[in-house]
Amino acid sequence: MSKPVRSLQIRHVDAGSCNGCEQELTALTGRDYDMQRYGLDIVASPRHADAMLVTGPVTDTMARSVERVWQAISVPKIRIAFGDCAAGCGFSQDSYASHGGLNDPDLTIAGCPPEPGKALSLLRAWMASHDTHGMTSVEVESNSKKIG
Amino acid sequence: MTTTWKHQNQLHKDSGHELLTLTANRRGKLTSVWLDPDDHRQSFLDLDLVDGSFPSLAASLPETAWDEREIHDLFGYIPLGHPDPRPLIRTPRWPKDFLPLRSAQLSPGWLEVEPDLPALQVEGDGVTIMKVGPTHAGIIESGHFVFSIIGENVLHLDAHLFQNHRGIEALLEGKTVGEVSPLVTRICAADSVSNQTNWASAVEQLAGFIPSERLLLNRIILLEAERVLSHLNDLAQIPAGVGYQVAHQRALAMKELWQRGLQSLFGHRFLFETVHPGSAVSAPADAVSEIVHAVRRHWVPWRQVVMGHHGFTNRMRGVGTTPLDQVIRMGAQGVTSRAAGKEFDARQSIPWYGEVFEGPVIRTSGDVLARFELRLDEVEASLRIIEKAARMTYKTPFQDQPFTVPEDIDGRAVAFSESPHGLNVHDVSLSQGRVSRYHVRAATYRNWPLVAQTVAGNAVADFPLINKSFELCYSCTDR
Repeated sequence: MSKPVRSLQIRHVDAGSCNGCEQELTALTGRDYDMQRYGLDIVASPRHADAMLVTGPVTDTMARSVERVWQAISVPKIRIAFGDCAAGCGFSQDSYASHGGLNDPDLTIAGCPPEPGKALSLLRAWMASHDTHGMTSVEVESNSKKIG
Repeated sequence: MTTTWKHQNQLHKDSGHELLTLTANRRGKLTSVWLDPDDHRQSFLDLDLVDGSFPSLAASLPETAWDEREIHDLFGYIPLGHPDPRPLIRTPRWPKDFLPLRSAQLSPGWLEVEPDLPALQVEGDGVTIMKVGPTHAGIIESGHFVFSIIGENVLHLDAHLFQNHRGIEALLEGKTVGEVSPLVTRICAADSVSNQTNWASAVEQLAGFIPSERLLLNRIILLEAERVLSHLNDLAQIPAGVGYQVAHQRALAMKELWQRGLQSLFGHRFLFETVHPGSAVSAPADAVSEIVHAVRRHWVPWRQVVMGHHGFTNRMRGVGTTPLDQVIRMGAQGVTSRAAGKEFDARQSIPWYGEVFEGPVIRTSGDVLARFELRLDEVEASLRIIEKAARMTYKTPFQDQPFTVPEDIDGRAVAFSESPHGLNVHDVSLSQGRVSRYHVRAATYRNWPLVAQTVAGNAVADFPLINKSFELCYSCTDR
């Protein structure tokens, strides 16, 4: 009796991106990709979100903000690493100011930056292959402690 | 020595020179580099530290205020007499003895405290403090803004950037010449070609390599293609700041069209890794003209619709005004400075642009409308430059000799270009084929302090519009 995820509202957090991921994310809201027609959208508050989407290698200055945004999202919720930096394979992983990406992402969208068409298919594929109950998981509690 | 340092720097400023960089090295030396916009010559001024400190220039040259605070944060050298010596980049989480550019220590062991720094706030009856960020309610880079407001009016804005500080300058140290390009290309997605070109020019200068005319034309095409891309993005964002969705969406669609063209011709939607020392990616002139024509078909009607919308143009008029004298005092660059009437565009000082560059586009009112219109004209100028340069590549012979980087390449070079945001400078020191110091001074670094000053006196609701009209990227400032 599983139901695919039909709507995924996303809170974006930039944690040290070069702005490339942000621009491609914005492209997804444009008419060429139009993510809204698939139930995907960027929302203004974590209180409205089902997902936290992080770009950048997670700089030390942003690490706590990332954690706070995650805490503010109600369950069920998922973590999305958008781009190579957040995925832990970007160019600035080894710098003193970087925490080396987002820990334990539920979905990783690789690319530098990810091509919007590809990102959209990955998001849709994830939604189709997960059920609304599957988003809620006992791991949520442990996930929340791993940043930073 | 001290008086000479202050005097000499002031002299350069007073004679209309542009400050390229002001930075330090770990051997206890400070250098400022000035560009003479008339004869395009660079002057280097040096200062040796005395007891780990140096006389601050910030009181008389406010554009150096951030540079000096940064030197203090990353090297530990003390600017004596600095009017605002608060930390700029370092947070309370950094251990006191951690100086990333002075010692090669890589994992500092962060302290378990909040990263927030004390903010300058206005106190008094009726004053409210409004904090925004570092995360924002949209797809925006991270920055922390502390507004002191009274009613709807902004009294003071304290902008805390550097939330995205990735430590790129330290990361570049010790890298071989071959390892630098992939990093430099990703300092900032909006100014990537400009950063790549600066690195390539610096290496070529130090290696004594003269790029062929054809190679330089290909670089011009890439630099201008990046300007069109970045300006289209900004022109899409400004209407979004006032809820003018039609203009926003149509501009985003043009940007998408342009990016698909760049992807097919040059292999990347943001032109990452298209310029390297000794080379640049190229495309057939006909194909380049084709993508220019494709965008123009949408551009001309879009420009008419947007500029014919009086509600929109009136919304931008007289908002977020930067007076010319303040622009000059703060050393502002790019669109910001030209919209207030400052006639400086780094392309004038780059000899290889030659006659393809038509001269700077100027507006004088210095408001949001001026910055919007300036970008409109610059997009059209860049499209013409691209077509012209593409046609010229037909006439120039293939003469690209293979470029091999000398293994023991050594020395210091300051290279610059006009990025979509303005004068972008790299101060590169190589030693035995490796980077010994790499300093990046983006145009946005000079413009951010001006944004904060400009917002004061405007309404809170104007901030998104004003901010978007500057559309400064955080990543190249934060590095």
